[in-house]
Amino acid sequence: MSATPLLETRGLSFRFGKRPILHDVNLHVEPGSIYGFLGPNGAGKSTTMRLLLGLLRPAAGSIHLFGHDLARHRVALLNRVGALIENPSLYDHLTGHENVEATRRLRGVAASRTAEVLALVGLTDNAHRPAREYSLGMRQRLGLAIALLSDPDLLLLDEPTNGLDPNGIIEMRELLRKLRAEHGKTIVVSSHLIGEIEKVATHVGVIQQGSLVFQGSLRELQQLQTGRARLVLETDSAETCRNLLPRLLADAVVTAPGALWLPWTSNDHTAEVAAALVAAGQPLYGLRLEQPSLEDTFLHLTEAKPELVRGE
Amino acid sequence: MESTLTSPSFSALPAAPAALTQLRRTLAADALKLRRTAALRLTLVSGALPVLLTFCIYFFKGDIILKAGGTPWPRFISTAWQTAGTLLLPLFVVLLTSLVVHIETKATAWKHLYAQPVGRGAVFASKLLVILVLNAVALLLFAGLMLSAGALLGVLKPKLGFQTYAIPFEVVCWMLLRTYVATLGLLAVQYIVSLYWRSFVVPVGVGMGAVVATIALLQWEHADKIPYAAPLGTAMSMKMTKAGLEVAHELAKHEWYSLGWFAGVLVVGYLLLYRRNVTN
Repeated sequence: MSATPLLETRGLSFRFGKRPILHDVNLHVEPGSIYGFLGPNGAGKSTTMRLLLGLLRPAAGSIHLFGHDLARHRVALLNRVGALIENPSLYDHLTGHENVEATRRLRGVAASRTAEVLALVGLTDNAHRPAREYSLGMRQRLGLAIALLSDPDLLLLDEPTNGLDPNGIIEMRELLRKLRAEHGKTIVVSSHLIGEIEKVATHVGVIQQGSLVFQGSLRELQQLQTGRARLVLETDSAETCRNLLPRLLADAVVTAPGALWLPWTSNDHTAEVAAALVAAGQPLYGLRLEQPSLEDTFLHLTEAKPELVRGE
Repeated sequence: MESTLTSPSFSALPAAPAALTQLRRTLAADALKLRRTAALRLTLVSGALPVLLTFCIYFFKGDIILKAGGTPWPRFISTAWQTAGTLLLPLFVVLLTSLVVHIETKATAWKHLYAQPVGRGAVFASKLLVILVLNAVALLLFAGLMLSAGALLGVLKPKLGFQTYAIPFEVVCWMLLRTYVATLGLLAVQYIVSLYWRSFVVPVGVGMGAVVATIALLQWEHADKIPYAAPLGTAMSMKMTKAGLEVAHELAKHEWYSLGWFAGVLVVGYLLLYRRNVTN
C-alpha cells in the first residue's frame, strides 16, 4: 500500500535553452521516508533539487509538496522545507553563529533555535569563529544546521556528505536516521554513491541522463539485484556444451573458450544444468553463483541508455 | 480549492508570512549581513575624502581664496560639494550597490535566499532599502563632516572667519535632499545591473565606464537626462550671490529625470529578474 506522497512531481521536465536536462520525472516521496536520490554527476540531481525548491521553472509538469502545487504556493510551502543545495551558502565575513542567525531572522524562527541547531551539528564550540576559517566538513555541518533551523517537515539535501571525512559521513548518516526516527522528518538526499545511500535510505530513485530509471523501496532495488544474479560455469569447451544442451543453455553467454555465464533462476535449475553437463560427458571444473553488488546494479541502471532520453 | 488528494496530516496549506512580515524579516537579515563588510566601511568613510581635500585647500590657501572677506561658508560648501558631486558621489553609489549585492553573490547565497519562505519581491525591496539607507547615511556623514571641518577651520584659522559667520543650514538641507534625489537614478541602474549579472566586476565596470562617458558628454544638450550626470548637476546648481549661498527650493529638471530613471529602471528590472531561473 502506498501512502499519499509528501513530495510528488508529475511529468517534470526542464531544459536549459534548447538542451534538455530532465525528461518526464515522476518522483514519489512518502512521508517519513529517507529518499535516496541517486545518479552519476550531471544526471540532473541538482537541477531536480532546484526545481523542488522553486529556484528553476519547469518546462513542463508540476511539483506538489504536502499535496499543494509549488508553483502556486511557493512561499507558504517553503515554510516547511529546509534545504542544503550543493555547497552551503555561507557568508565568510560572518561567524558561524551569525550565519545561522541571518537565516533565522529571515525565517522568523524563535531566537533559541540558533543555539539549538548549532549544538545539534556539534558546532557550538566554534560558533564564534568566522565561517572563512571553517573546514569543508564544518561548512557542510553549518549548512545543515541552517537547513534544520525551522524544524522543517521536509529536508532536501543535495550531496550533504560532499567534502566530509569518513567520520563525518558516519555522523551525517546517524543524524539523518535520528531526524527520521525521532523527529519524523521526511528527507530527500541526493548522492552519486550508492554505498552512501544504501546504509541510510528507505527508498531510492535512480536518475540517469535526466530520466528516472528506477524508483522504489530499498528492498525493491535489492530484489532487482537478485534478479541479476548469474551462474558462472567453467568447463573444457563452452561452445560444445551449448551445442549439446540447447534448451538449458539457451540464454548462456560464452565469455571465454571454457567459460559460460547464464542467468540464475533457481537452485533446481542450477542442479539440472550441472547434472545435464555431467551426463553429456563434459568436464565441470567450476560452478558458482555471482551476485552483483548493489553498486553493479546501480551502474547497470545508469549505463548510458540514450533511447530513454531521446523521446521528446 | 486544491483538487489534489491529500492525507489529513498535511493537507492544510501552511500559512505564508504577510508581505510586510517578509520584508521586515529580510531587512533584519540583510542588516546583520552588513557587519564587517566593505560596503559598510565605504559608507562610513566615503564622505571624509572630499571633506579632507577641501579642508586642506582652505587650511593652506584659505587666505588667498577668501581675500575678498565676508562669510567663508558659501565658497567652502560649494567647493566641498562640487568635489563630492563630480566624481566621488557617482563612484560611491556604483561601489556601494555593487558591494551590497556582492555579499550574496560571494556567498553563493542567491539559491539559499530564494529557497527561503520570502518572496522575490521582499528580497528585491530589502536590498534596495539597505542601499538607499546607506546612501543617505553617507550623504549625511559627508554634510556633517563638512560642517565640522568648517568649524575646525574656525578654531585653527580664525582669520578665515568661519567662526564669525552663521552656517547656511537651509541651503545645506536643500542640497542634501536634492543631491540624494540626484543619485537615485544611477543607483537604480547600478542595482539592476548588479542583480542581473551577479558579479562584482560587471557592475563596477559598467558604472566606471558610465561615469567617464558622462564627463565626456557634459556639454551635450541632453546631458541632464543621463543619470550619472545628475549629482554634478545638483552640485553646480548652488549659486553664490551677494546675499550668500542660494539654491532653488525645488527639484531641478535633471533631478526629476533621476527620479524617472529610478522608478522606470526598478520596474523594468524587477519584471526582468522576477521570473528568472536561479542557477548559482
